[in-house]
Amino acid sequence: MADLLTHVLAAYALFTVASWRFEWLTKRWVAIAMIGALLPDLNRLGLLVTDATLESVLGVPFSLDAMQTIGGVCLLAGVGAVVLTERHRRAFGFLLAGAFSHLVIDGLKAYADGAAGTWLYPITWYRHPTPNLYVSSDPTVLVITGIIAGSVFLYERYWL
Amino acid sequence: MRPAVRVVVGTLLLTTLAGLCVHYGATYDERWPHPTGDQLQDDPGQFTDQQVLLFGEVQTAAEDTIVIHVHDDADDIAAELEVTNVDKSVEPGGMVQVYGVLDSDQTMTAEKTVVVNRSDGASTYKYVVSLAGALLAISYFCKHWQPLPQKLGFEPRTGRTERDTEGPNDG
Repeated sequence: MADLLTHVLAAYALFTVASWRFEWLTKRWVAIAMIGALLPDLNRLGLLVTDATLESVLGVPFSLDAMQTIGGVCLLAGVGAVVLTERHRRAFGFLLAGAFSHLVIDGLKAYADGAAGTWLYPITWYRHPTPNLYVSSDPTVLVITGIIAGSVFLYERYWL
Repeated sequence: MRPAVRVVVGTLLLTTLAGLCVHYGATYDERWPHPTGDQLQDDPGQFTDQQVLLFGEVQTAAEDTIVIHVHDDADDIAAELEVTNVDKSVEPGGMVQVYGVLDSDQTMTAEKTVVVNRSDGASTYKYVVSLAGALLAISYFCKHWQPLPQKLGFEPRTGRTERDTEGPNDG
């Protein structure tokens, strides 16, 4: 994964630019998409409680990394959508879109064997080739995304 | 959607998510084309002379040779591996991916190395920046949405101006 700030800024930039085209895509939905960009990294709950601990408690195999897949984010987006009091389908769409942007960006990161992670699960276990663009701790990724998001913010604030 | 219905739907989705985590955990070791820490721990000889991708925490680094610890699901040490032909700069405490043929004496000549975290400090950087990202997203969300305890959920914070531009309620 890239760091979470990169994902959140990327979602902000992407959906803010889209809001210039679609009048109904207001700031509140940009905010929902930014929350969606957090969803795949909920597997980091593993830093607090390991899969092995959960397995011993539940008595079955268990992996929080399922949340960093297409299937995991679909279900998480569904949960997020019903946390809102209204407009559940639109909320689901923006949560999923934000999460999908996260997974796509992660799909470009470096793997030593040249294939990305298993984020297409449960549709397939296929690992597509990755262009090995970055590693997660590389500050360059954040700097570039920050410049893009900052430019979008300034353009909208002073030129639109 | 009424609050009670949302609670039921949310519970069903979370239960399904737990099921997905169980299935993923049960099948991952078979589907991942490389040995996991658990598999390496159970039967290290099974992967000898095979081309594998391993993730490990750097213990020592000298010239082009590093010693890494591969961890299992419990984050315990599953294997210690000496890796040569590492052409990247990395410090103890860093995290690497190594790809190459595993030898019987727990050594590997890396064909390719990816330095995920150059040092322990790089991990700290990633966690701090990620926390900032989470706080930014939550702050932006709270600017536009507010909790409504009596309805067990969040509703738009802004007035009718923005709401009127969004068309009819879509459910």
